[in-house]
Order: sequence, then structure tokens, then C-alpha cells
Amino acid sequence: MAGGGRVRFNVGGQVFETTTTTLANAGRDSMLGALLDSSWNVSSSSSGDGAAAVAEYFIDRNPACFAVLLDLLRTGSLHVPPHLPEKLLHREALYYGLLDHVRAARWGAFDGDRLRLAASVPGRAPGDGTAIRAAPDGGCCVAHGGAVRVYNWMLDERRPVSLDHSQVNDAAYLDAATLLVAARERLGKRDDGGMAAFSAVSGELRHRFRVAHGRQAKSFTAGALAFDQDASVFASCKGRLNEYGIGVWDRATGEQADFFYEPPGCALGDADKLQWLEGTNALMVATLFPKADNCFIGLLDFRGKNVVWSWSDAGAAASHDDKRVLHAIAMEDERSVCVINQYDDLGFLDLRNGAGGVRWSSRSKLMNRKVPGEESCYPKLATHGGQLFSSMNDSISVFSGPEYVLTSTLRRSHGGAICDFSIGGDRLFALHNEENVFDVWETPPPPII
Amino acid sequence: MNGQKKRGPRIEPFRHRVETDPKFFDKSWKKLHDAIREIYNHNASGLSFEELYRTAYNMVLHKFGPKLYEKLTENMKEHLEEMRTCVEAAQGGLFLEELERKWNDHNKALTMIRDILMYMDRTYIPTNKKTPVFDLGLELWRDTIVRSPMIHGRLLDTLLELIHRERTGEVINRCLMRTTTKMLMTLGSSVYQDDFERPFLEVSASFYSGESQQFIDCYSCGDYLKLAERRLSEESERVSQYMDVKTNEKITAVVVKEMLSNHMQRLILMENSGLVNMLVEDRYEDLTRMYTLFNYVPDGLTTIRSVMMSHIKDTGKSLVTDPERLKDPVDFVQRLLNEKDKFDNIINVSFNSDKSFLNALNSSFEHFINLNNRSPEFISLFVDDKLRKGVKEANEDVLETVLDKVMMLFRYLQEKDLFEKYYKQHLAKRLISGKAASDDSERSMLVKLKTECGYQFTSKLEGMFNDLKTSQDTTQGFYASASDLADYPTISVQILTTGSWPTQPCNTCNLPPEILAVSERFRSYYLGTHNGRRLTWQTNMGNADIKTTFGNGSKHELNVSTYQMCILMLFNSSDVLTYREIEQATAIPAVDLKRCLQSLALMKGKQVLRKEPMSRDIADDDSFSVNDKFTSKLFKVKIGTVSAQKETDPEKLETRQRVEEDRKPQIEAAIVRIMKSRRVLDHNSIMTEVTKQLQPRFLPNPVVIKKRIESLIEREFLERDKTDRKMYRYLA
Repeated sequence: MAGGGRVRFNVGGQVFETTTTTLANAGRDSMLGALLDSSWNVSSSSSGDGAAAVAEYFIDRNPACFAVLLDLLRTGSLHVPPHLPEKLLHREALYYGLLDHVRAARWGAFDGDRLRLAASVPGRAPGDGTAIRAAPDGGCCVAHGGAVRVYNWMLDERRPVSLDHSQVNDAAYLDAATLLVAARERLGKRDDGGMAAFSAVSGELRHRFRVAHGRQAKSFTAGALAFDQDASVFASCKGRLNEYGIGVWDRATGEQADFFYEPPGCALGDADKLQWLEGTNALMVATLFPKADNCFIGLLDFRGKNVVWSWSDAGAAASHDDKRVLHAIAMEDERSVCVINQYDDLGFLDLRNGAGGVRWSSRSKLMNRKVPGEESCYPKLATHGGQLFSSMNDSISVFSGPEYVLTSTLRRSHGGAICDFSIGGDRLFALHNEENVFDVWETPPPPII
Repeated sequence: MNGQKKRGPRIEPFRHRVETDPKFFDKSWKKLHDAIREIYNHNASGLSFEELYRTAYNMVLHKFGPKLYEKLTENMKEHLEEMRTCVEAAQGGLFLEELERKWNDHNKALTMIRDILMYMDRTYIPTNKKTPVFDLGLELWRDTIVRSPMIHGRLLDTLLELIHRERTGEVINRCLMRTTTKMLMTLGSSVYQDDFERPFLEVSASFYSGESQQFIDCYSCGDYLKLAERRLSEESERVSQYMDVKTNEKITAVVVKEMLSNHMQRLILMENSGLVNMLVEDRYEDLTRMYTLFNYVPDGLTTIRSVMMSHIKDTGKSLVTDPERLKDPVDFVQRLLNEKDKFDNIINVSFNSDKSFLNALNSSFEHFINLNNRSPEFISLFVDDKLRKGVKEANEDVLETVLDKVMMLFRYLQEKDLFEKYYKQHLAKRLISGKAASDDSERSMLVKLKTECGYQFTSKLEGMFNDLKTSQDTTQGFYASASDLADYPTISVQILTTGSWPTQPCNTCNLPPEILAVSERFRSYYLGTHNGRRLTWQTNMGNADIKTTFGNGSKHELNVSTYQMCILMLFNSSDVLTYREIEQATAIPAVDLKRCLQSLALMKGKQVLRKEPMSRDIADDDSFSVNDKFTSKLFKVKIGTVSAQKETDPEKLETRQRVEEDRKPQIEAAIVRIMKSRRVLDHNSIMTEVTKQLQPRFLPNPVVIKKRIESLIEREFLERDKTDRKMYRYLA
């Protein structure tokens, strides 16, 4: 390039000078990358009048936004002046093909102890939120009654998704562009409820997952969802004729690949939580109070079609001063399952040991919390990067280290109790129960020094 | 805007649309259309990317996305149709070059068009599930050019023609080939497969089918395999040069099928050069090639293996049944060992030490070694030979490896008990005559047998060694106990435990009085120290050294058997004796006596006695006298016994009978063991179980098992079931 790598832009009348190296950060598949590409600059070399000539381009766009974006390319960090609306910046970034750059610079790598509240998004839906799920790219979706509202990472709402407006039980992002929805089957209707994949971008129905028993397709209620890293999608299923169990579908074809019928004593069809354990090559299934009177947690091996590990509080619940397991999650090392009860006690179940009961951890207990009233929500658990998160009432506790000691509390003053939260795309989303609003927590980019 | 002040009762609808130019789309599209034309004409220098990008952006922003997409498709198609005409017009060899040039042009143009329409690619296309611009360009290229009727067939024919020419040895432009196949791959793996790979594989199949037909008739197996190997590596190289990596596996399969699979039987069984010849001539290189190539062929190795097996069985069978070979047991076994070594080498060198081949080798040997029921005897004789000559071999390591190899042969034997019998006999002979070369080697062989067959097998053999040791001590004790023995001939007594040794009951012959006296002294000494035992002299097994002075004055020390000693001692008192007289005086069994006399009078160079008449056979009236003209270069003369080491036919029969007799209690024991645990069992199951239990020792004959069962029923160990005659019941 002529001019010793210097480039001059006239953007909406304002002149910017930069270097080709800085612009190379934009990448070839951006507008700026194409603008400087040799295929569009054949003339400059032929008509070039010496090395001193600096290439100049006119761009008919907003100079203020260009300044921010050029700064982003120069430094890798995003600084938006207070007067500049975010929407405007996003629109300009889309024009230049730099939206991904903006997103990457927006917030830092997830760290539960450095989270700050980035936004609170009020929704127009009635306050009956059941679940919130984080998308891998920083967006999220909120399941409200019969529909799922989808937000991109800029927290703009997209077209809502629904499966004939059946009650949504669970939702999951297969990838940033594909949303799985599990819905309840309504009595008296055929081909209703069940499970489907939608485009998270356009909201259109991509595929409906079917379940067949004895080669006959049956309608069913899909409960919890999970998927493994490459091949399969799982859902807890309830058929009309007691066809309870875990359905398995092939991710590529969408065809049913397997069905794990519920063995006696293992409640699978009503499961609240499914989690694929990659290292163990097994699916964790947890059926919890209040859906079932007794809590059941099991690991299913689909190759051998057997329950390789299980635990249940059947018979024990009464004697243990009514500590009920309300949520469960397999820890990231796949050695134990963490559970939580209504007093916010954390407990652990050892997955390598078949028999042991729940080892309740007193250390995690918070002394100054009130015993939940009737309107409160059931606690939820999540893990991320070695940290453990639990929601209780209107706050989320963060536990760190090998002993899982309480290190942070995330609380927002209004919106009521947190009914669900989800971590993904380096963000934490918390859905409130009383007011229909969800909070977005981000880790700020690392400090300058 | 309009919410602040309402003028009048009418509520105006909110007008969002700004007044746009009605010809906005046409104007904008014309701009893009012209730009695209310039791009295809290599004349893009005058274009402003920013302007074009902004134009396209505005079109999408004003919801003209669908129309823009449609127009673009149409426009690109037109350009591609122009290109098609050029490519179609290219003559002969220039066709591929023209295609390549146009492909490069299109690619370049496509990149630029994609740049202009980048905003559409990011916004309109993902939300409307359209094909992105670049992929659209590739699809259009595929449908308009590659699959157009005039080009489709021509392209394929050209490619295949070039490959054919390369196969026949011409040099082609591989670079052009590479760009062309790469283009097909870029258009999608299905395009590459449908439009090139499949026909390529078909043409290759017919090419190699023809080539194999041509060469299989005139090439030897080895040469043909060399050709196949070369062709395979050529095809691999070709794929790596200008095709998709995945084609390698497919083309290899085609070549293997056409050149090898289809002619497998013919190649392997080819007369004068097939597998058998390679094996016979130890052609390691050819064998390696055959193994590697047929590894690709389904059932290829199985076929090679079965042909090898039948070859080994055939040669083995002719080896073990050849009457010539039976004359020399040592040579017989040595040949077996050589055969084994040969195939071990072939498998290790050429067949990649393939386990299944080793198993085949073992089962073949097992098969043919047992075809000759004298194999156990011969193997024992071979060991005997090795252990006798051990000193001469000097190197114990060499001996050790030989013994290890013999153990391999031993493993193949079905009648291991027969071997045991012979081994015992031969060992006894070795030990008694003091010919065992090395105690260490003997013991090491014993250990090998023990690890192979267990304690039971060798306990008696170990007993023999112990007997010898105690005998030595006893003899020493005997001489230490009496001081007046110096006048008597020195004796060395070996006390053999009955049962441990393969002794036959035999009548003690009349010993010469000198010997008799000292032996009686020994008897009383031994019985004095060991209460309640009985000593029987086994005169048929001993030997003696006699100092002799012949009539011609020559002095020699003769090493003879005990029987021979008895005979010779008679001549101390008389000059001429007839056979009948000798028989009466010594009371040696007639067969042995004749044999002894034969060896004393008829062995060349060792004629201690003279026989009248000088015939080979010995009659009752033949007379014997000391040969006064006896000469020998050696002072010590060893007089052998005529009896051959190898068993004669009647002896063989006898041994076999003894073995059969020994088997009976073993079979019975097995039956009782099985019935004791199972209580009730049907006939067939007993047969199989017994056979299974005894297999490590020998293969029991079903008829014998049946007889044993009957005998056990008679002795009321078993009974037949009252209702089902085929069932047996154990009676405790």
C-alpha cells in the first residue's frame, strides 16, 4: 500500500488518519477490510504518484461513531462517550462489519467475583417467567407461559418463539442460532406440545422432534432438556400412556435415536434437570420436589441402558428435619453432585461412591437470611469456571475455591425473588419473579493497569 | 412529532416513510450492475468500493433485499453464460486451460461482488435463509458451466483421458489437473464425487480389469504382484498429487479388487510360481509382498493361510510317512525341526509374525506329526541322541535351544504318555550305562517336561535320578564296611526302585562265581542296612569291563554287557563251547543270548569269539572259541549289542500294548471323577468330557472309553438309567 501504510479517511466530513496495520484488525470480512483489499485498489498502484501519496477514502457515515470504532481497532477496548446512544453505535458497527468486535470488547471473560450489573431489561410479558437461558453469543431467551422471548446480545428483542402457545417447560440454546423448546402437551389436542428447534435469529420453526413407541408416533410432554457435545439431544418425556422416560434424538438429522424407558423406582419422565456428563459419558437426571414427593438423582448410561448411579431421599426425608433437595447440579469435575435445600444449605453427593448420602455443608449457610415465605422461589444452582452459584430469594451467592466458600453476593433492590438464572456467553442472566424484569451481569474488561 | 398538538378531530396516521425516489431501486441496481460488468471485464480500477457498498447497503435498508438478491442471481447467470461460450469454444487441449482461467476470473469477481454485498450477507441472508453470495456464485458456476450439457461430458472425458495417458506412461500437466479437481471439490464434495470420482473409479476398474487379464496369463505370480504393488503406489501418488485424499481409499479398493481379489485363487495357486513355490524356495521378498497385498483383499490372508496349511500338511505327511525316513529317527526329527524353523522364519520375516499364521503352522504340525504313531518314540530318541552326545556339542546353550525346539514338537504330540514311556526307557538306559552326558542338561529337560505336563509326569523320572545318587552312596558304604573285598572284582551296584524304572521281570542268569560271591556280600550288606526290602539282580541291564589276554599275546580291556561278561568268563575254563552248552551254563534267555553271541562273534573288527560255522544265524550246535587273532588299535574295546536302538516291530507292539494297558486306569479314573461330580450324565457327554480331560496326555479311543464304562458298570461304580439307556448314574 502506498503512503508507508498510512490511510486517510474522510468520514462524513471529518478526516481520520490511521495505518493499514490498525485497519488489519478489522479482518478481511469487514467493510474496512474489503475497502483496503488489493482487488479494490488496482488503480492506486498504477496511477500512484510516488510513495508520499496517502490513500484517501471517503465514507458517508457518522464520524462520531467511526471515531469510537477506530479507537476500538487501535486499542482493542471499547469506550463509548456518554452522549453516544448504544443503538447508534451498534448500527454503525453493523455497517462496517465490526459488530463482533464491539461485542468482544463490551465485556470481559466471566468471573463470578467481578460481576457488575450491566442492564435490567423489563419485559412486556406477564410475570409468569419459568426459565431464562443464556445464549453462547451473549444473548438470552426468557420462557413465559406459552412463549419464549428471544433477545440478542444487544438485548434487542427478536421475534418470540412458541410451540402453538403450549406451556413451555424448558428451553436451551443448541448453538447461538438454534433454540430448543420443550413444551407441555395439552389434553384433547393432537400433535401438540413436545419439543422443537427454532431459529434464534428469525424465530421460525426449524424442526419438530418426534417420539415413537412401537413404531407409532405419539404426542408427549417434554420436560427438561440437555445435549451432549456432538451427537445427541435429550429430553425428559411423558407420554399419554405412561410412556415415561428420556428421549434421545440425533442432532444432525433430528430423528429419534433412542428412548430410555423409566425403570421402576427411577422417576425419569418428570425430571426437572438433565445434564450431560462428558467425561463420565452419562446423563444426570434429577427429579425434585415439588414435582415429585421424593427426590431422585441418577446417572444413565445409554450404551448399556442402565442406571449406573442413583440416589433418592425416599423414606429418609421425614427423619432429616424435612431438608428437601430442591435443585441439583453435577459439578464440573464430574465427581460429585451439588444439591440445595429450602434453608439454602448446600450439600454434596459423591458420584464415585454408590452408597453415601448427602454431605450437607454448614460452611455455606448464610446466617442472616430469613426463612423463605410462601411467595419465594425455589433456589437454583449453576456452575461456571470452578465457581458455584446459587439463587435464593432476591440474590445470587457465588462460592469459590475447593471448599466452595461464599465469596460474592449479587443482589438487586427490586424485581422480587429470582426464579431462575443462567450463565453463558460470559454473562449471567437473572430472571425476577414479581416484576417481569431480568438482570444482565457482566465482568467488565480488565482494568488498564 | 404528531403527539403534541392535535389539530382538528382527525387523527392522521403516523407517516414514517420519507419520500423516496421511485426509481431508487433501478438507479441503484444499474450502478451495481455496471460495476459487476466492469469487474468481470477486469476493469475494476475505476470503481469506488465505498460507493458500491453504500449503494447495496441502502438497497437492503430500504427493504429491497429480495429484489436485489434476485437481480444479482440473474446477472451473475448472464455473466457465467458468456463465460460458458468461451469455454465451449476452446479447442482440444486448451479446453482445461480456458476453464481454469475462467474459474479464476469468476472467483476473483465473486470475491469482489461478495465485498460489495457484504451487508446483505450479514443481515438479509441469515434471517431469510438464503444462500450467501459467495456460495450462490459457486452454485451458479456449477449449474451454468460445470454441469452444462456441452461441458459436463467433455470435462469428464478430458480428465479421464489425461489420467489414462498418465497411466500408460505419458507425462501430463498435473498442475492443471490439480486446479480442475480442486475446483470440483470447492463446488462441494457431492460435485466432486458425482461428476468426477465415481466415473473415475469406474474407468479405473475397467482399465485394471483389462490390464490384469493381459498380464496374469504371461507373468509369474511374483512379477504380477510386483506390478500390482507398483500400480497401487502409483494410484496413491496420483491421489496425493491432484485428487481428494478420501479418493485414495476408494481407488485402492478398485485396484485391489480388479488386480488381486478377482484373481486371488489363480495367483496364490499359480503353477511354478504361486505361494507353494515361494514357500519351498524361501522367497521372503515375494512372500512379504503377497502378504501385504492380500491383506487388502477380504479373505486374502485366510486363503494364503489355508494354502500354506495344506502345503505344510502335505510335505509333513510325506515326511513322516516316507519309509526311508523311518530308518533314522534322529534325522527324522531333525528334518521336522528344520521344517519348523523354515516356516517360523517365513512367518516372522514375511508374514509380520501374524498370530493366525503361527496358529495355522502349529495346527498343521500337530496334524501331521500325529499321522505317524512312532513320532513320540522318535522324538525321545532324538533327545536321547542329543543328551548322549552332549559333551561333543560342548556348547550347552546350543543344546538348550535344540531341546526347546524339541519341546515344541512335543507339544504337538497327541500321545504324550507314549513319549513318556519311551523317554523313561531311554533315560534309564542313559543313566544305567552312564552315558548321560550332562546332568545339567538332563535336569533342564526334566524341568521343561515338568512345566509342560506337570509334576505327575516327571515324578518317576526324578525318582530315577534319586536312585542313582543313593546307589552311589550305598556302593561307597559297602566298600567302606568291608576291608577284605580287594580280592574280588569291583562292582558298582545301582539300586532301582521298582515302579520308577521301566524294568521287565527277568530271570537272573547264572553269574560267574567270582561275581556271584561279591554280589551276595552286597546283598547281605544292603539288606542289613535296609530292613524289609528285596533285591533282584537285573542282569540284563548291567555292563562290565574285563581285562583280557588273547592267544596272540595282545592285551585289551573289553567293555561288555553283563550277559556278554558271563559268556566270556566261561572261556576262562574251556576253549570251545557250543551254543547249547553256553545256554545251559549261563541260563541267559535265548533271544538275548543269541544277540550277545552275534555281537561277540560277528561284529566287524570286534570279533572276540570265533564261530563255527561262520554264518550269521546261530544254531544250537554252533561252536564258539576265543579268537586268538583278535587285534585292535585301541586298548579299550567296547563291544556293542546288536540290539538296535530303534524298537523292532514286536517290541513296538509290546510297548503299545503296555501303553494301552496303562491308559485304562487313567480313563477309568477320568470317568469316575466326572461322574462323581455330575452324578447323572448321558453317553455322549461322558465321551466328550473324558476326551477333554485326557487330551493333554493322549487322545483316548472312543471304543476303549466305552469298554471302560462297561467295566465300571460291571464293578458297580456306575449303572445305566432304568428308563433311558443312554444315561449313566454314579453309584457311591
